[in-house]
Amino acid sequence: MAQENYISIKTFCEHHGVQESFVFSMQEFELLRVDHVEEEAFIPMEELPILEKMVRLHRELDINPEGIQAVYHLLEQVQNLQQEVASLRKKLDRLG
Amino acid sequence: MDFIDYYKVLGVDKSASTEDIKRAYRKLARKYHPDLNPNDKDAELNFKKVNEANEVLSDPDKRKKYDQYGKDWQHAEEFEKAKRSRAQRPQGDYSGYTYSHSEGSAQDFSDFFESMFGGATGFGNRGQKVRYRGQDYHAELHLSLMDVYTTQKQTLTVNGKNIRLSIPAGIEDGQTIKINGHGGPGIEGGPAGDLYITFSITNNTDFKRDGADLYKNVQIPLVKAVLGGEIVVETLTGKVKLKVAPGTDNGTKVKLKGKGFPKYKKEGQFGDLILTYSVNVPKNLTPEQRSLFEALEKTNLT
Repeated sequence: MAQENYISIKTFCEHHGVQESFVFSMQEFELLRVDHVEEEAFIPMEELPILEKMVRLHRELDINPEGIQAVYHLLEQVQNLQQEVASLRKKLDRLG
Repeated sequence: MDFIDYYKVLGVDKSASTEDIKRAYRKLARKYHPDLNPNDKDAELNFKKVNEANEVLSDPDKRKKYDQYGKDWQHAEEFEKAKRSRAQRPQGDYSGYTYSHSEGSAQDFSDFFESMFGGATGFGNRGQKVRYRGQDYHAELHLSLMDVYTTQKQTLTVNGKNIRLSIPAGIEDGQTIKINGHGGPGIEGGPAGDLYITFSITNNTDFKRDGADLYKNVQIPLVKAVLGGEIVVETLTGKVKLKVAPGTDNGTKVKLKGKGFPKYKKEGQFGDLILTYSVNVPKNLTPEQRSLFEALEKTNLT
């Protein structure tokens, strides 16, 4: 495994000041992919933006892991709906 | 530049305790946080306002200064003088919330804030602080429809760095592309953030666009609709001659295959141009034309 493509959960949590259990609950809720090498757990770099977003929701807005799971799925729906609205707008525009 | 009532922004009164302010801030932050309001510019602006109010009111020194200043604001002759000597800002129709910093950053402060507390540097405890991975940057690129008819290579300057960018033909209005690693630098070995570029495409042609298909209304003379004939139609790439079938109805659609817009990331493939015929009913007839129509009418043509 290329070192630069992963960050250990321990290091991530030190940087962000969150408990490791927070990261594991995100994994448990299937919002996050975590890889294991021997005993240590690593987060792939491409998962960092989404995990950082979860940390922000947790720290800045006091949202607990269960709440974050709900938020995550609702945000997915919001984004799908935004895309649908944008494509419907285009169709409407060409009829108008 | 207008005075900003930070107490009003947070919906608390002047005697509010630090706890009250914190609670009010959290409540509003949950409402307007950009992570919870994707692509919502109003929420983003509100979040900045709420953050700024919290920045001032949650800090005892700043709050004290603000309270004093607020009192003086109504007859703020001295302050106005001091402000003029401090900064040569363009005078004009400034509202309180005029943000002079680069767009998309949660670190923005209003001019009101900056004139009072002197700029945004030094306040790191808000917005998206870099802890490991660098910040994501967001930029908007304005192009015209014909600009994206062909694949373009452009060099953009983002935060002092030149980025060579290839913009594929057929990119959509509002589409965002991500450029890995061209955001802010990470710290302590963390990766850089990403750069997101959103395309805003102005269509100043006669064609309506829906994906790779183009649409246009074409007027045809009544006589050609009845008898059939040839017409010349403008496409994006030039004029084409078309045969109109005898007895063409108003609203008839004609599809010109491959005369549409390039398909995104499918080189050499094009969408269709869909024409809708609209039959032009003549209004100003000469006496001769009128009598011809009257003769037609007598044939009981339906």
